[in-house]
Amino acid sequence: MNFQVRRSSEAIEVLLSGRLEFTDHDSLPDIVELLNGEGTRRFVLDMDGLTFIDSAGIGMLLILQDESEQRNIKLVLRKLKGDVLRSIDLARIGEVVTIER
Amino acid sequence: MDGSPACLPPGPAGAVRPFSVVRDRVPAEIAARVAARFGVNEAVGGAAAAVLLAQADRDILRGAFGLDRFLTVELTEREEGTGAIDADWLGAPPVERGFYLSLTTGTAYGLQCAVLVCDELTRRGVLTPERRGNVELCLHEAVANAIVHGNLGIPSATKEQPEGYRLFSRLLRERLGDGAVRQRRIDIFARWSADSLSIAVVDQGNGFDAAALPEDTESGAHSGRGFVFMRALARRIRVTDGGRCTLLQFDL
Repeated sequence: MNFQVRRSSEAIEVLLSGRLEFTDHDSLPDIVELLNGEGTRRFVLDMDGLTFIDSAGIGMLLILQDESEQRNIKLVLRKLKGDVLRSIDLARIGEVVTIER
Repeated sequence: MDGSPACLPPGPAGAVRPFSVVRDRVPAEIAARVAARFGVNEAVGGAAAAVLLAQADRDILRGAFGLDRFLTVELTEREEGTGAIDADWLGAPPVERGFYLSLTTGTAYGLQCAVLVCDELTRRGVLTPERRGNVELCLHEAVANAIVHGNLGIPSATKEQPEGYRLFSRLLRERLGDGAVRQRRIDIFARWSADSLSIAVVDQGNGFDAAALPEDTESGAHSGRGFVFMRALARRIRVTDGGRCTLLQFDL
């Protein structure tokens, strides 16, 4: 998985690409660190470029949800499609994470 | 068995040996041991039955699959390693319409085995594009479990503690840095008929109590969804050998 970051005054947008899976845990601290920026209110994960997510990747999204909540930041998942959408729906994480449809 | 450079094509009819060596450095006694293990008579001519690799990567494995042998066995992860080429591996008897892939954990980690195996199942006309996505996700989850919780021995609960993901990353790095752990085997055994596909994923870890798996996972939990996916998408899932073998079955 690779990611790019776009910042605005109140939001951070992370554009994920490739496959998010169990071999990507080393990237997670770098993404969590983005939550520590001053004034951030929204943290958007844009999944347009993501082609696959496994159960470990879903676990990483939920860790980001917990870390965001602790900092009073709203996490939003955006542009889910194909195999990524199937995995997210199967995992039923819409109960705890905001998903833009 | 003298070994030959990459991707030997089958020789002239009647002159093909039972084993093809995709990489050099596979000694004759190891080939003989594979023959004994898998019940293949090395002296008999006809179609080759196995591809032995001294070191696998994605391109080499695709080349090996292209030879259409039943067995694809990576004997060791690193060519410069000494002695490791005779490390133990699990065996399965040859059957018609199937293939068996045996890899070291060091190679399997990061190789995207499920993609590779599903590419091969597609190439052999077993998987249609409509079926592939679900099979690939289930197989990926089984392989990930076999690597992480099986051969690397990292408990699923690690990620549930505060900052558990940092501990999880550290444990991954530590275990992958241990040569003996890297040499543990991941075996993938695929068989199919006209209307059914079975894939077994076998590891050499300590196993687990499959009866203790929860039916579902809390919506906010950081782990435990691999089996939820497999139960939802496969026709049947069975865990045997004390948790070391996950058998997935799919309709075709």
